Amino acid sequence: MSELPLLINRTSPKRLALILGGVFVAGVVLIGGTSVAISAPAWQPQSSERLVKLPPSYLKKSIDHDFARSELGTAIQKSEENISLKGNTLGDLQKAIDTADGEVRGELRHQFLSEKRNYLSMMSDRNDLRRKHLRTKKRLFDDMLSRLSQESGAMTPEREELIELQKAASERFESSLAKVDQRLFEVSDLDESKYSKQYSQNKTAIEQLVSRIDHHSMNETPMSENGVQMSREEHVRRMVADVQTELAVLDQEETILGYMAKLVALDAMSMAEEGMDAELLDSDVASNTLTPANNVSFFLNN
Amino acid sequence: MKTHLLALCLGSMVAFSANANAGTLENLERERSMTIKTFLDSSLTVDERQAKLDSQRRRLVDLERIVMRDKALRGQNTKTVHVAFKNYDVTFLGHASAEKGHTMVDHWLGQFGVSTNNLMATRVGNR
Repeated sequence: MSELPLLINRTSPKRLALILGGVFVAGVVLIGGTSVAISAPAWQPQSSERLVKLPPSYLKKSIDHDFARSELGTAIQKSEENISLKGNTLGDLQKAIDTADGEVRGELRHQFLSEKRNYLSMMSDRNDLRRKHLRTKKRLFDDMLSRLSQESGAMTPEREELIELQKAASERFESSLAKVDQRLFEVSDLDESKYSKQYSQNKTAIEQLVSRIDHHSMNETPMSENGVQMSREEHVRRMVADVQTELAVLDQEETILGYMAKLVALDAMSMAEEGMDAELLDSDVASNTLTPANNVSFFLNN
Repeated sequence: MKTHLLALCLGSMVAFSANANAGTLENLERERSMTIKTFLDSSLTVDERQAKLDSQRRRLVDLERIVMRDKALRGQNTKTVHVAFKNYDVTFLGHASAEKGHTMVDHWLGQFGVSTNNLMATRVGNR
């Protein structure tokens, strides 16, 4: 029988309430702590209007910068630092094994095996984080692509016709501007209108600004490998393809890690067998190499 | 009384905001309708009409340029915008008439198949 019923019997209701309250608070703290431990580092980029409209050259940098500052980015960086240190440890151990002999060598081989197992575990964890990063990035680019296709996808035959009409009207309009101005001044003795004056002033300023924007390094149109200009949508699609390539490479790395893990297991089995062989050599158990034929001479003479 | 005043204020605010938000194309349509009204105003003498049309043409030309440069209208697939750009000669009356070397009234009537020659060839009679 547990002691709790005895405790309940002995204590006053006030004290009991205090104890139960304490247990409840401890439980809450425990559950909270567990959930914090379980929650994995995250990166939650949003495909906003602003992001879609960023200059292509700046887009990748902006996403990478956002990722580097995220919990997931920090976790991957930290994990890579640890893996690098673990790699150094493995290198040192390998060198030590080459120079050691006897029991020390055996001890070092065990340690080497154990460190290799840790290394593989760390690599696997790092790859999980990398996969999470790449999948999030792909989802972000997919969202961006759907936003971009929404913008251009509203092109109905009527809208296309209207744009063509507006283009034709604009061309006709531009070609007749000088003639219209000339005719206006010929016929009437009125001054140039306020709109016309201010428009021509502003137009010069706008043209200068547009020219500066067009030649700005951050506004350069992305180019493909063969020097063909890419649209914003093509650029994002290219980035999706890059992410998919990285995911495929990651899968390949997982296969390598799998083979490494198998080798570690085989090495462990081999070392265990070596240990058993050594034990058998030291033991007093008679070997079964003795056969009746070896002792036949005992029976040939009286 | 208070409720009535509030409703009046709200009504005038809505009307004011609607007026303030009138698009460039609507402003052009309004100015053009005033110009056409001047064409047809029989109370004006020839000189008065001409003086009024000269001033209206200046405003019309400015509004036409504002419409043509309005990026918000690009691809705005509404019936008004579609009809406006489909009928360039009527919508952009000031520019189209100057481009062809016609007066605005001649150009406008020409769009509906009425020319000076046609008018001169007509005669009064019973049908």
